[in-house]
Amino acid sequence: MIAMMLQYFENIVSGLEAKIKENPDGTNARKKYTLETVRLGQRLYSGTDKVAWCGVTVPYDVLAAMGVTSCFTEFIGATLANSGLVGSYLEESEHAGQAAETCGYHRAVIGAAMKGMMPTPEFMIASTCPCSGGVAVMENLARMMDRDLFVLHIPQEENEHSVRFLAGQLKEMTAFVSAHTGEALDEDKLREAMQYSNQTRDLLVEVYDLAKKVPSPANGRLMGNFGIVAALFLGTRAGVDVVQAYRDEFKETVERGASGVPDERLRLMWIQNRIQFKNPLVDMLEKEYKASIVIDELNDIEWGPINLDDPFTSLARRAISVSLNGSVSRRVNHLQELARDYKIDGAVNPCHWGCRQGTGSRGLVQAGLGEIGVPVANLEVDCVDSRNFAEGQLRTRLEAFVEMLETRASPLRQSA
Amino acid sequence: MYYLGVDLGSLSCDAVLIDENESILASSVVLTGARNREAIAGATADVLSAAGIDEKDVAATVSTGYGRDRVERRTAAVTEITCHARGVTALLKGTQVLIDIGGQDSKAVKLDGAGQVTDFAMNDKCAAGTGRFLEAMARALEVDISELSDLDKGASGDLTISSMCTVFAESEVVSLIAEGVEVNEIVSALNRAIATRIVALVKRISPSINGNSVAMSGGVAHNAGVIRALSAAMQTDVTVPPQPDTVGALGAALIAKERSRQG
Amino acid sequence: MSHEKKQMIGYACAYTPVPLIDAAGYSPYRILPLGDSPDRAGEMLHDNLCPHVKRVLDRALDNDLPELAGVVFVNCCDAMRRLADAWRKARPEHKVTLLDLPATDEEASILYFSEEINSLAGTLSEWRGTQVSPETIEKSIERFNGIADSLNTLKERLSRGVLEGGAAAMQDLFNTAATTASGDALSVLEKAVGEPESVSKNHATPVFLFGNVLANAEAFQLFEKSGAAIVGDDLCTGSRAFCRIEALEGEDVMMRLARGLLRRPKCARTFDPSLPGNLGDEILARAQACNAKGVICHTMKFCDPYNARLPRVRETLREAGIPMLALEGDCTMRSMGQQRTRIEAFIEMLG
Repeated sequence: MIAMMLQYFENIVSGLEAKIKENPDGTNARKKYTLETVRLGQRLYSGTDKVAWCGVTVPYDVLAAMGVTSCFTEFIGATLANSGLVGSYLEESEHAGQAAETCGYHRAVIGAAMKGMMPTPEFMIASTCPCSGGVAVMENLARMMDRDLFVLHIPQEENEHSVRFLAGQLKEMTAFVSAHTGEALDEDKLREAMQYSNQTRDLLVEVYDLAKKVPSPANGRLMGNFGIVAALFLGTRAGVDVVQAYRDEFKETVERGASGVPDERLRLMWIQNRIQFKNPLVDMLEKEYKASIVIDELNDIEWGPINLDDPFTSLARRAISVSLNGSVSRRVNHLQELARDYKIDGAVNPCHWGCRQGTGSRGLVQAGLGEIGVPVANLEVDCVDSRNFAEGQLRTRLEAFVEMLETRASPLRQSA
Repeated sequence: MYYLGVDLGSLSCDAVLIDENESILASSVVLTGARNREAIAGATADVLSAAGIDEKDVAATVSTGYGRDRVERRTAAVTEITCHARGVTALLKGTQVLIDIGGQDSKAVKLDGAGQVTDFAMNDKCAAGTGRFLEAMARALEVDISELSDLDKGASGDLTISSMCTVFAESEVVSLIAEGVEVNEIVSALNRAIATRIVALVKRISPSINGNSVAMSGGVAHNAGVIRALSAAMQTDVTVPPQPDTVGALGAALIAKERSRQG
Repeated sequence: MSHEKKQMIGYACAYTPVPLIDAAGYSPYRILPLGDSPDRAGEMLHDNLCPHVKRVLDRALDNDLPELAGVVFVNCCDAMRRLADAWRKARPEHKVTLLDLPATDEEASILYFSEEINSLAGTLSEWRGTQVSPETIEKSIERFNGIADSLNTLKERLSRGVLEGGAAAMQDLFNTAATTASGDALSVLEKAVGEPESVSKNHATPVFLFGNVLANAEAFQLFEKSGAAIVGDDLCTGSRAFCRIEALEGEDVMMRLARGLLRRPKCARTFDPSLPGNLGDEILARAQACNAKGVICHTMKFCDPYNARLPRVRETLREAGIPMLALEGDCTMRSMGQQRTRIEAFIEMLG
């Protein structure tokens, strides 16, 4: 199983390297991004890397500085969905009693672990943000794989006390990692990683700024999963390179007077996660309606640069300030801000099946965007389980939504 | 001495009469309709007259099915899970797993060698995987439900019905017909859809079903196509006892005999 | 003790430090998911969300609540967090606060939780206009320990089958204790303790009941009618909400509350990372201690914390030869009625 996945990644890597070679002067932003993502996959399945399975809100840059190949478990769910193989893993977990109404990312991960498709890590680090389901998967994996588990509790509110508490936990986390790798945290390596993170951050801010242009250099394919996966590259040279390629490509597109979707007519905001398996919806939006997904909720920088002399405090602030953490009003404010900044005509909320923290806010998010005149299409789709994808119904829903958008002028476009 | 089992289900009321040797003297299946009392009286009267015995010679009566509390002259009410388990073991010794697909629900029951239940799983919330699903599909295909049994003959088996929900699956079938997809392919896909639901239920009580002795009861046991799909999905034979509709009533009668011993 | 009617503070989770609310001069009122409020919560949040959270929110939207000065929510799970968010919109006139709850019961978590509880004490003092003192909190803890003791006496009677009114009466008592001012609750419980034992009904199959929310007394009648004797429970609307809070030598009152809450029988959302999957062992130990023949698990539909742990719990019980029946509820008796056949079949199976 592991060998099969490794081969799968290796095939993609060689394919992409060849394509990039064919066009060495091009920016190749998405190819470089995909290459880096797949290289991570290779390292996870190599059998020789020190691997850590983690939750979403774990500082990947710190782990990179400590020589650990780390990733959030949901990555495997997404990869399986993307490769078209996820069905049998979901079935395996459901037959073992995992309720089918829980999040597909997590069911896929349990199924993968049951079928020996999840590389055994050195250790595991859970994070309580964004969700309870994520923490539960980590507990289950820790038992199934008999590995030590560290739990990072991300406080709800950002204040002096909570930041100090999380910073303290992060330091303990590094001690936990050292105990398992046999290597202490090297201050110089940490500093270097933090510098890379800051560089990546600055470049990301530029990328997201460029995407605000009307028309936007962004499009659905380019920006799919971008922000979430970029977090995995923080702290590394490779991360800087990938985001720089994006910045350069966007800059060049804008300078050429071109746009991510030619003749862009409508600007959409995508909420939370993309649908991970191959589906025709984004293509349909772009080709038939010239509707571009110019911003994803999770493609944004909400944290300030890391203070190199006190990185743990900055890292704590970074984790707590994610707008998926804390009260939903933070999330709504963030979405309203994005809608204004990107001059959005409408928003699409896939309402991922089984997602309590995210989809559980559906009504409040819709009301919040409604306050500023932005309509929301709620799709009700399982972003990982392709077995239940009702293409016809989703198409109809999106088409009707976009047709509605075409007939009205967005209040946000009128402002300067 | 005689013992009576009455199974009052949503679609039919079944009665079975046995004697001291546990031989089946008579059985009856009557449509429940809206009048439970009449259905119970009718089924009971049928078996008594067929066996030529009087009501007062019935030593004990056990009722089962969702309407079991409505059978007035009962010694005890016992769930259909327990009754089906007893009934199927009497007809097919050594049954390890029983699958019962009724009109409104489906069950998977794990048995020890002697017909005792050791675990069970039920689906009674969702029409998918029950007789209702097939009724809806028969409607969409404009065939009689009794015709569905062999309509999958010759299908390649490449088509999949993706909808989890009966209502959406029906729409999907209508679309497929409009697209000109062959009826046998559609029926084959429907059989596999039911099989998938049922296998999930079975795995809850028997993770390694392969090699187990599996029996089936309930109305859908008449559908050879579904049975074929189930066998294929579980990679194990599925045996249907004679008179699959009265398995529950038979089990109830056997329990009636047991209970009257205990007095 | 003052005889004036105290203002009420609502809460919805068994991890709420109820003695603190009491000490701050309020009467803690658990907003139980009971009543007939129409289904409106799904529109504000989402339909596929914990029914406990939805029913509590429905009461707010339907104004089926006593007059509350405010509400204390606990960040115990995603759904509860969303409840707090929705509440601010549904009842903007209420003072609302969210108490953060760590995911584990490790020492560091207890320390963090004690700081959160201390912060809550500050918030409640601000709301009330008077500072709550550690001594007052200690007194409240003792009062609630008294409530826990009375309930334990009654639970013990229930386990022997000699509690007048059976498991339904026990649940009524739990509900009373959760919604009535502590002094009054104590009186009701002491009266119940003073009642004579009823005649034991044998033949019932001893069953241990665990899970989360099950506040309908009628549901317990259903279990008993089906032939089950509830010899022990681990539910958050039952025993888990009323455990003694003991004192460790030299520990301050906030630590005492934090430890008392985090170290009590767990909701599945709390775990010890050094013992992953241990919930099953804990349930097994409790079931065996009551000599239960079988275990019934009753949880809310869509509950992620429980859904994730149940397969391992079932496996652990199965390995020990104890069958488990899993029921999912939606806080209405509608869903319980459908469960009748399952419960009866389970009892028949236990023999």
